[in-house]
Amino acid sequence: MNILQIKNLHKSYGLEEVLKGVNLEVSKGEIISIIGSSGSGKSTLLRCINYLEVPTSGEILFKDTDYHATNKLIQNLRSKVTMVFQSFNLFDNFNVLENLILAPQKVLKLNKKDLIEKAYQTLDSVGMKDFSNKLPKHLSGGQKQRVAIARALMMNPEIILFDEPTSALDPEMVGEVLDVMKSLAKTGITMLIVTHEMSFAKELSDRVIFMNEGIVYEEGNPDIIFNNPKLPRTKEFLKRFNNNF
Amino acid sequence: MRKVFKKVILFTLVFGIIIVIFPKTNAEYINNATTENETLNDAIENVKFYSSFNYQTLTQDKLNKLTADFYLPVEYFGVSISYVIDSEYLALSQETEIINLRQGTSTIEKEVLKVTVLNLPNIIKGEQEFVIQATFNYLEKSFTYNYQGFITPVIPDDFLGGALYTLVRYGKMFLEGAGLTLLISLIGTVLGFILALFLATAKIIAPTPQDKALGRFLKIFFNKLSSTYITIFRGTPMIVQASFFWYGFGLFGNALLCGLFVVSLNTAAYIAEIIRGSVNTIDKGQTEGSLALGLSYSQTFIFVIFPQAIKNSMPAIGNEFVINIKDTAVLSVIGIFELFNQTKKITSLHYRQLEAYAIVALIYLILTYSITSILKLIEKRMGMKPLELTSSN
Repeated sequence: MNILQIKNLHKSYGLEEVLKGVNLEVSKGEIISIIGSSGSGKSTLLRCINYLEVPTSGEILFKDTDYHATNKLIQNLRSKVTMVFQSFNLFDNFNVLENLILAPQKVLKLNKKDLIEKAYQTLDSVGMKDFSNKLPKHLSGGQKQRVAIARALMMNPEIILFDEPTSALDPEMVGEVLDVMKSLAKTGITMLIVTHEMSFAKELSDRVIFMNEGIVYEEGNPDIIFNNPKLPRTKEFLKRFNNNF
Repeated sequence: MRKVFKKVILFTLVFGIIIVIFPKTNAEYINNATTENETLNDAIENVKFYSSFNYQTLTQDKLNKLTADFYLPVEYFGVSISYVIDSEYLALSQETEIINLRQGTSTIEKEVLKVTVLNLPNIIKGEQEFVIQATFNYLEKSFTYNYQGFITPVIPDDFLGGALYTLVRYGKMFLEGAGLTLLISLIGTVLGFILALFLATAKIIAPTPQDKALGRFLKIFFNKLSSTYITIFRGTPMIVQASFFWYGFGLFGNALLCGLFVVSLNTAAYIAEIIRGSVNTIDKGQTEGSLALGLSYSQTFIFVIFPQAIKNSMPAIGNEFVINIKDTAVLSVIGIFELFNQTKKITSLHYRQLEAYAIVALIYLILTYSITSILKLIEKRMGMKPLELTSSN
């Protein structure tokens, strides 16, 4: 069963067309890595899925339903398809615990007491329990991203979109975030990950998508994509990575 | 004088008739005694002291603010008067002298005793009460009466003395003015801030493609309304706004309330722009982070953006309070006795503009400097970047 279906998605900024007809099907529990060079439209694709960018044309079906019509529907979709950003985007005016419970309290109207309990459990699962009353500005990048992942998990989402989650981190902090994502992958949640961490993508993904100039250029099993790409642009892009590997 | 003459003539006439008609009896003696008392009472009530300046009559008002020598008459229509003064500031001469009093075009001579002012009390001591004890003697009867007055310090001619005099003598008026200035500025800033929240919100909220026709219309309407308001209040001087609302409408029928109203409205326009600017500087990621979790635009605004924007704009709002302390001086135009208007009132009392305005400048400086320092301290405690005092409206 496809949890997410993207049909002929186009997105333009003025005259510049960033997405030129993307087609993608995601089944439940699948972990997909989206790779590609800068400007290929990977992030835009991800941001179109939860309507942070409004698509120019095309269809996005979440569980066979189109959510684009009203603000209410879009909010409803976003509470089920949450996102983790490159720049963390933790709320600077709230401490870690408050960051976690704001959305479920206001959007899902859940009981605050239960939420606090759940927040501690979730923080524990990302190893941030001891930081519950710290402000975001007192955390390191890796800690911030782990809190951001916990915050996304608090909504009980069906899909989590990761938009270059480790790109803004110091190399030594990348590991702690990837570890959290690895353990998250085992829980069976659907994940779409835009990343430059090739080895991570290779190890974790069920499917790898290579995007080039606004379309899904090549996709498939990570083994095939990384070891035996068929198309010339994919080969060229992965050559650098394979050389370093 | 004429009244007294009339009385005396009438008195003599009646007296004469009584003497002619009635033989001398005991009853007549009692009558006689009454007239003696009346004469004495008359003397007590009507005796006049004369100032050394042009020999003008010293009224009670002038006696209460005495600064120069004066004369005491030794006789009042046959009633002789003797005096005792017990004051370290005044000395009564033993010798009588003759002064010429103006009476219409002619002058009349008057025998008087001179009272010399030995020295004036200093401004710290302030006014000193003195008592002139006068004894009236008439036909073997005598009456004692106390005249009270105050000897007042005079304003020194030099700047420092004048400033000290102004400060001590009118310190209370300065304080009242400063209090009112602070009150108006503070309340005006607080009310202005509350109003600014609505103005800024109206100006920031933009219609989205998903809005329905009515929502779209309302958003655009309030947006334009807020923009117009801000343009008008930032584009006209507060002195004009104050005059417009007070002299044009007599708003609230109370100048102070009207002034508070004007300061609040004016401040709101400035603070609204501060908050709007502050909202624009909040990282776009904050909005995205919130929206991506399913929060609505308004929830994002209320819980995430606005609290941060307001915290960041606190230094600028504090600065607006300091600016208001200076700018409320224009409210003097609608007759509110805040600090500046109190100073104008003081100068009209003693005509020493230089000293009065130097003092008020210093008071304003102390107010703004100390409040700026306090605000800086608070900002430092709260971990905000302190703002320098910027230009006024």
